[in-house]
Amino acid sequence: MNKTLRISALIGLLLPTSAMAQSINGEVKNSDGKAVAGATVRVEGTDTKTITNKNGHFVFHDLIPGKNELHISASGFAHLHQNIILSKDEVKTLTMVLTRSPIEVIDIVATPIHMSIMESASPVSVLAGDVLRRQQASTLGDSLEKLPGVQSNFHGNVASTPIIRGLSGPRVLITQNGLDVSDVSRVGPDHSVASEVSTAQQIEVLRGPATLFYGSGAVGGVINVVDGRVPIDSNTRGEWLLENNSVDDRKLASFNLTTGTESFGFYADGYWRESNDYEVPVEAEVEHEEGDGDKFVVENSAEKSQGLTLGTSYLFDNGYMGISVEQFNREYGIPGHAHGDEDEQSESVFADLEQTRVQLLGEFNFEGEWLKKVQLRSGFTDYKHAEIEDGEIGTLFENKTQEIKLDVIHNFLSDWNGGISFHFKSSEVSAQGEEAFTPPSEAETIALALIEEKYFGEVLLQFGARIEYVTLKADNVLLPILDAHAHEEEEEHDDHTGEHQDDEVSITRTFAVEHEFTPVSFSAGLVWDFTPSYNIGLSISRSERAPSASELLSFGPHIGTGTYEIGALFALDEEYDERLIGLSKEVIDLETANNVDLTLRKTQGDVAFVLNAFYNQVDNYYYQNFSGLYAESGHEHEGDEHEEDEHSSELPVYSFQTDDVILYGFEAQVAWQITNTFKTTVFSDYVNARLKDGDYLSRTPPLRFGSQFSYENEQLSAHVNITRYQDQNHISDYESATEGYTLIDANVSYDIQVLNHDIDLYLKASNLTDTEARVHTSFIKDIAPRPGRSIAIGVRGYF
Amino acid sequence: MNKSFQFNLITAAIAGLLLSGCGDAETVIVEKETIAVEVEDDHNHDDDSFTIESMGRLAVLSAETNEAAIFDLDEGDLLDTFSLTHDDNTLTASAGFRFAVVASRSQDYVGFVDGGLWRENHDIHLHDYQQMPVINSFELSGSRPTHIVKHDDQMVLFFDGDADSGVSASVQVVKDTDISNEISEVPSLEYNINMHGVAKPQGEHLLATVRRDDTDNTSVAKILPDQVGVYHLHDNEYIQEEILDVTCPDLHGAAQNTEYVLFGCSDGVLVASQHNGEYSSEKIANIDELDSLRIGTLYSHEESDSFIGIASAHGGNTAILVSVNPEASEMEKLEWQPENNASPVSYGFSYEGEHFLILDSKGKLNILSSHEHDGEMHWELEESIDISQEDISTMPEGMRFSMAMAQNGHYVYVSDPIANHILQINLENMSIEDDIEMNFAAKSIVWLGIAEEGHDHD
Repeated sequence: MNKTLRISALIGLLLPTSAMAQSINGEVKNSDGKAVAGATVRVEGTDTKTITNKNGHFVFHDLIPGKNELHISASGFAHLHQNIILSKDEVKTLTMVLTRSPIEVIDIVATPIHMSIMESASPVSVLAGDVLRRQQASTLGDSLEKLPGVQSNFHGNVASTPIIRGLSGPRVLITQNGLDVSDVSRVGPDHSVASEVSTAQQIEVLRGPATLFYGSGAVGGVINVVDGRVPIDSNTRGEWLLENNSVDDRKLASFNLTTGTESFGFYADGYWRESNDYEVPVEAEVEHEEGDGDKFVVENSAEKSQGLTLGTSYLFDNGYMGISVEQFNREYGIPGHAHGDEDEQSESVFADLEQTRVQLLGEFNFEGEWLKKVQLRSGFTDYKHAEIEDGEIGTLFENKTQEIKLDVIHNFLSDWNGGISFHFKSSEVSAQGEEAFTPPSEAETIALALIEEKYFGEVLLQFGARIEYVTLKADNVLLPILDAHAHEEEEEHDDHTGEHQDDEVSITRTFAVEHEFTPVSFSAGLVWDFTPSYNIGLSISRSERAPSASELLSFGPHIGTGTYEIGALFALDEEYDERLIGLSKEVIDLETANNVDLTLRKTQGDVAFVLNAFYNQVDNYYYQNFSGLYAESGHEHEGDEHEEDEHSSELPVYSFQTDDVILYGFEAQVAWQITNTFKTTVFSDYVNARLKDGDYLSRTPPLRFGSQFSYENEQLSAHVNITRYQDQNHISDYESATEGYTLIDANVSYDIQVLNHDIDLYLKASNLTDTEARVHTSFIKDIAPRPGRSIAIGVRGYF
Repeated sequence: MNKSFQFNLITAAIAGLLLSGCGDAETVIVEKETIAVEVEDDHNHDDDSFTIESMGRLAVLSAETNEAAIFDLDEGDLLDTFSLTHDDNTLTASAGFRFAVVASRSQDYVGFVDGGLWRENHDIHLHDYQQMPVINSFELSGSRPTHIVKHDDQMVLFFDGDADSGVSASVQVVKDTDISNEISEVPSLEYNINMHGVAKPQGEHLLATVRRDDTDNTSVAKILPDQVGVYHLHDNEYIQEEILDVTCPDLHGAAQNTEYVLFGCSDGVLVASQHNGEYSSEKIANIDELDSLRIGTLYSHEESDSFIGIASAHGGNTAILVSVNPEASEMEKLEWQPENNASPVSYGFSYEGEHFLILDSKGKLNILSSHEHDGEMHWELEESIDISQEDISTMPEGMRFSMAMAQNGHYVYVSDPIANHILQINLENMSIEDDIEMNFAAKSIVWLGIAEEGHDHD
């Protein structure tokens, strides 16, 4: 990148009148020599930053003598990274030239070292600004699914969570401003993520193991939802949005606002959303009775949610310290979670979740010799999630989490940039009621991590290591004698159904369980600018993960997935009786992911691309396997006199076991800026996920490719997205193949200026061809396809 | 200087992290008190919820050592081997097929190996158990245990007694639960003379052979009885109630189905039956085709009206197979007869009685099926399966093929002491489906497990 930077003295510029300390006067231009206004110029590792004026000028005073790393970013341009050496009291005048990048480059905010789609050893993606607003949906999974390498487990529009490179659940960590989102979305596909996209500023996705920064839950990747709830400045700005969507009659209103005084910042955001059952192009259920009518909906897929966040911070010269409180409510129907027959008044099951989140965030910049910055993030969340059947609480999930993260960033030490991170997290999770498949447990993590990077000429070396001490305690792990049986045989037995009213003794073994894990992870990577405009990124990592409570301790019916789940702590005792479940004889061990990532990028010019290939071998991978047995769900349905199917209240028994798994695949993204206003992008992603012995894993995303055509001028922007999901025939024994489909989305927006206010009027159309799209990664693909054709109309303002 | 020192600190820290290497995992589980709750049980009960799906097990008596082995038929695994007290043993299964019954006639000994698979009737459901096989400490003693037969849930052991030492014959009757409970008082019948006899259980009754004084005894071989008595159980003792009218000279061999009990006599077959508590008897005379041979062995199946009788000269190679229909008082020579140079080594009815199997010394398994013609049952050869690829002439001295019938499915198991394996043959498609490799030759094999219906053989 050195070669693209031209430094020249600008003789005509006025010298600053007071040059008491080291200063830089700069000018940012594009390759045609035109000034770039609104570019952000940042001094790496500090909070010193400024924005270029309309002539592309910027000024920094009070820089430290020695090396200053400047980082310049502007929308539509490749980032520029330059080291400037200043001697004492020196004033430098520079011109910097930005080159165009058709792929939007946005830095990750939550890592102590520099990461972006174009500049890090491991692959990351960021959704922000207009793109985020265009792609935002009711759920986190559906909002992110257009990113390469990320797909949604589409759970009927209400609870979809993201899948990164075929991994999800406890392997994908979801954070809010770098702190665990602390809900129960990692243990059930029908559990919504307790985070809202419509008020977020940006969403960062780290594909591949990101355990160094986030801990051992992040063996598959991280989704970090960033908002400005604790303001770091008091510049007044804000955004509001109103939208109505036709397919589910969804109404959304949201806003966020930052303002303040010289030393206090204030923040507020809020949203309100309500939707009905969504329409689908075909009968929702694959197996359906011949129906009449031409309007189909996915029953029980309505949603109602609202949230409000307030935050304030104290701003001082060397940093800030602030606190925020969020109250979040969401009620949603759980499709496929309805009982009873259609002609009867069916019991609809819905979830009511409620979360209070308090975050305390701060940053202190030091001008010490060694210490550059200390960053503190801490949070407390109180999460409750009731599943309500027939107006009564069926199961109550609770999660109380406290978390502290302290990043200590040092000054350049022999040109090394980086720091040490301390992390403590404690959570109490319980599930009480019918679906209490995981006993109450307490988990605690203490971690120490070190992350460093250094430029060696054209090569940036990044590496890190992390050690954790994880304890998982559960005092009352219950092991009932499970009345499970196989179904293979014809039902020849005497019909004793319902005849016995005798009392019976239920025997439940009880255990106190304590697990201690010491996961160690390390990674090393490099980015080599081997020729101008191109770089290669290589990252290797070894990450260890402590299995979660649900993977170890579960024992009970999980209605959301329609399975009876048995944790890895238990196993069928094959020696004694193949259906008697006792303690497993297997040693409970860490899951270890060995990952190699190779990235080739063209970072600037009219055509840019990012090609990633990865190979991830996960040893001791915890997954669920069908035992061949069925067990009573434990659901009692009063007044349910239907006895047509005697297995109706039975669930298949899935037990957690471990095996070695190999995942490999790629993500590719090519963007071509045809003219100043026209751009086209194509992308593809693929993952192959199988056990070492050859069996495929369940619900692996299919091969996908797509393209986007966009037109953007100062006022009008239009985008057409065409995405093809191929057939998925790589399936496990317990699922069916899924047919491919093509989705066409389009949107148009028109920007008008009213006073000092930008107002965007937009139309968003999705699934234009009204195609039947069943999502292979969904637990409920056979009962809830994607929504049919939908037109959303909205207005968005920002200031 | 300072800086490089700090840098060293960092590298040291990294090295420390890396050196600690792979992570560690430790699990401590403490079992607490088990919770037992009386629950109001309004769940639907399917009988199969406590039952086990298993092919069963196979007890194998070694021809080489005084050991018995138990194999699991689901996986073909050897579960355990047991050293037996004596060398000269015979093997059979208990009435409920839970126990392998090891009898040593010369040593006056009967012992039991618990096969580990059994069913209990818990009234509200049938409850199956699956455990590792173990040798049972329960033993029966008596002089010269010889004929061991079973019917319903009772096993009847006939102890021949010994004229030389002046020990009389006796009968002992045990159920599987008696064996597992190791009862001390075994229901028994004590004779005051020795005999090579047989007894058949009839609930609380017992049809047992009676040897009269040699002067009255119409048997040529006086050790063989010529009468059948009806005995009734009182306080663990079988008391004679009557003696059937029809005599049965040189009585040998017996079989029964739900209605009739048949005994082989030199002049025909004695048929005993019970109506309204009264026992009656009649004789089906030998047919001419028997040609001076007499029926000395009878086979039956609960669900078959037709009995199979085997007529052979004592120790002779020739055998003639007849079907006996007590209802019609008929005896008929089977169409199929053993080949001249192949002597049958084992006979048996299949699981549901629709096949009769004859395993011969040439390694051929002949499968007869019953067909109805004009209201009469006929047995016809359906299939002959060569069960051995080996050169039969290499059969070690004193060894032979052995056969065991599964009691829960259409399978028969045949041991081949030349190849040292046991074949699993599916009688539905008449094919060899699997084999169990062994590292010893089998003397005899017996199926153990959970029988699906009550069956009776012999």
